[in-house]
Amino acid sequence: MDEKRSTIFTIILIASVILVFSAADLIYGDRLYSELENKVLASRPEFSWNALLEGDFTRDYETYLTDQFAGREKWISIKTYMDICLGKQEINGVYLGADDYLIEQHLPKQFSSVQENKKLSLLEKLVSEWNASVMLVPTADNVIMDKLPPFAVCYDQVRFLEQVESRIGPEHYIDVYTALRQHADEEIYYRTDHHWTSLGAYYGYQAWAAAQDRYGGRYHVENMETVTEDFLGTLQSKVNLNVRKDSIKYFPETMNPVSVTYDYNVVKDTYYEESWLDTKNKYGFFLDDNHAFVEIETGCPNGKTLFVIKDSFANCLIPLLTSHYERIYVLDLRYFNGRLFQFMKKYRPEEGMDVLVLYNCIHFLEDFAYVE
Amino acid sequence: MVFSSIVFLFRFLPLFFILYYLAPRGMKNGILFLGSLIFYAWGEPVYVLLMLFSTIVDYTHGRLLERARGKGRARLILLSSVCINLAVLCFFKYADFLVQSVNSLLGTSLPLLNLPLPIGISFYTFQTMSYTIDVYRGEARVQKNILDFGVYVTMFPQLIAGPIVKYRDVQDRLSHRAVSLDFVSAGMKRFCLGLAKKVLLANNIGELWVTVSGMGFGERSTLTAWLGILAFAFQIYFDFSGYSDMAIGLGEMLGFRFPENFNYPYISASVTEFWRRWHISLGSWFREYVYIPLGGNRKGMIRQILNILIVWLLTGIWHGAGWNFLLWGLWFAIALILEKLFLGKVLSWLPRGVGMVYTAFVVLGGWVLFALSTPAEIWDYSRALAGAGSRLVDRQALYLGREYAVLLVIAAFASTPAAGRAVEGLRKSRTGVNLALCHFGEKFIPAALLILSIAGIVDASYNPFLYFRF
Repeated sequence: MDEKRSTIFTIILIASVILVFSAADLIYGDRLYSELENKVLASRPEFSWNALLEGDFTRDYETYLTDQFAGREKWISIKTYMDICLGKQEINGVYLGADDYLIEQHLPKQFSSVQENKKLSLLEKLVSEWNASVMLVPTADNVIMDKLPPFAVCYDQVRFLEQVESRIGPEHYIDVYTALRQHADEEIYYRTDHHWTSLGAYYGYQAWAAAQDRYGGRYHVENMETVTEDFLGTLQSKVNLNVRKDSIKYFPETMNPVSVTYDYNVVKDTYYEESWLDTKNKYGFFLDDNHAFVEIETGCPNGKTLFVIKDSFANCLIPLLTSHYERIYVLDLRYFNGRLFQFMKKYRPEEGMDVLVLYNCIHFLEDFAYVE
Repeated sequence: MVFSSIVFLFRFLPLFFILYYLAPRGMKNGILFLGSLIFYAWGEPVYVLLMLFSTIVDYTHGRLLERARGKGRARLILLSSVCINLAVLCFFKYADFLVQSVNSLLGTSLPLLNLPLPIGISFYTFQTMSYTIDVYRGEARVQKNILDFGVYVTMFPQLIAGPIVKYRDVQDRLSHRAVSLDFVSAGMKRFCLGLAKKVLLANNIGELWVTVSGMGFGERSTLTAWLGILAFAFQIYFDFSGYSDMAIGLGEMLGFRFPENFNYPYISASVTEFWRRWHISLGSWFREYVYIPLGGNRKGMIRQILNILIVWLLTGIWHGAGWNFLLWGLWFAIALILEKLFLGKVLSWLPRGVGMVYTAFVVLGGWVLFALSTPAEIWDYSRALAGAGSRLVDRQALYLGREYAVLLVIAAFASTPAAGRAVEGLRKSRTGVNLALCHFGEKFIPAALLILSIAGIVDASYNPFLYFRF
């Protein structure tokens, strides 16, 4: 009898796991969007005989069921914690570093020398045509190496940066790497996001000022102000772990601009958009996230013009440059389809303008592209 | 449909078994047949017709064989059945391979058919052939009820990846079977263990193989290469044996008892032993329907060697249409022949550990041929394994070794009968605490593994889209 009770108990236990979650899944309503994953979840596919015979219907239906499965995010956390119990230190392409640092993984094989050379040639052309300066910011894995798990493998950005310097010439190259390495024990990268912090950008700015022989003493680290302490960035989304939140700080010493015009359309009188602090993507605070083209009238009456070609790493650094130029144009090539040199000529004043290329190394290798 | 999917676990499985258990005995086969067709058609909405064709062909041949029993035309009928089955298998599985081989040998450019391979075709054609052959030999009764025969061919648990169930092993239970509580509970536990093997072990250790096999030529250090092939060995074992466990478990829940398919192959001390423990149902199929009819070991040593060669080339090519699979079969044939000639004797004098190391080398070498498809890849990988022209250890190897150490240890442990023996030991000790532990573990460990496996399945689709990456 005891044996039989035990058998029945086993059956009920295992069957109830299946039945409870089946029922919960049937009751649980569909969601349109997952903020955690930052993606639109699959919706119920429409049935058609054609789709069924092609096999599309059943495939889409499975995606739909899995995307909409009850407690999806909880399940993903369970799996992540299981991985950590198994001693894994890399989840979804993110290293679980020391001191709660999440560090994005970039493997050597992701970037071939063919690709490196392609980007270098494009850069060389731009530099020689426009006498541009180049700031390429290494990502966290190449700067705060001591936070990486033991033996972690990284794409060697230092070697790539040496190539950049020798190709474009040291007079055009601004060495951000050395500047950041000197401060590697400070909070120069976010723990939960792939961007550098305002402090990191400040050291980048110092390197720029030194290279350009400008006065870089206007801003003071001790005067930085915190705008939020609830920032969980892209890397946290990838690992979906409970981690310490980041603070976002900025330099209030930057002057208020006369105007900041986004995509010829929206005109603002600040570099900082507080509305982003209520969303998940809090880094959008700097220069209103990503825009194809931004025109800045800084109110600094020195008649100088700067044209920046950049990625999002520049967003928190550009405000620091505003005390050196009267006008700054900011172009994001990913959203720009025209001919670059023609476009730049339109904005070049008669007395000429400075040109700055500002990317992180990885985005530069992945996305830097233009048509002359 | 695959077992390790949300649609199977939370739609098909509950709905099917509720209907199956509620249905009166006379309707159970009808439900099983229909359920199996839906299960198959979910992934193969067109090829389900091919499977039905196969069913009807072999049912008819069975009936004809019955009528022709003892007459000369019985042989012709058998021949017709075998030819149709093999023709279907060859057409869908090997046509493009043959065309490609002819093209590359003769420099022709015959067009490829580009037909997708019907899921499970290698398994169900072997099952139906076992039926007609056994009916011809008088070892199985002819099945007059086409529904019961249809159930045998299409039954969803072993339809896609085995075990290859011989008709005579299930013929009684096809028409008369009782579902007992013991069967159901044992089947459920078996299913959970199998699912965990597939989702928690095979899928996770498989990531290591993906990483290593994705590296370019000459980029692997010797340690990396060994970690990679070890990972592949565990991946294929837990994937395949997990699938067999799930099939056997589901079979038990239906009231069937399928043959075992794996018996801790990685503890084997010779290749001969390995093949008695690995994919047992396939090995026994080839032995019974190819090796023994060819004369087996009864016609002298030379004939036996030839027979081994034939069977293992066929076994190789059964696993896939590619030269590397043929090579893989040949590799094992050579090891088996050497063992027959003298090596087996030598091994039996040596300690078991020596045999295990030798077997591991042969089997891992085999997996290199199995997992990599081009000669250049195989050559490069073998060189790395042998330490020729590559560093012994590099940073990458140390990182991967550290990252996967725990999983590799768990996988190695799970490849031995140790866990099962420990449970038996607890049960036999009969002291109160041990027995309670055993009872508790038996119920809650499968349930916990089921929950962790669900997490693994849901997570597999987790791929945050970071459009605000910049």
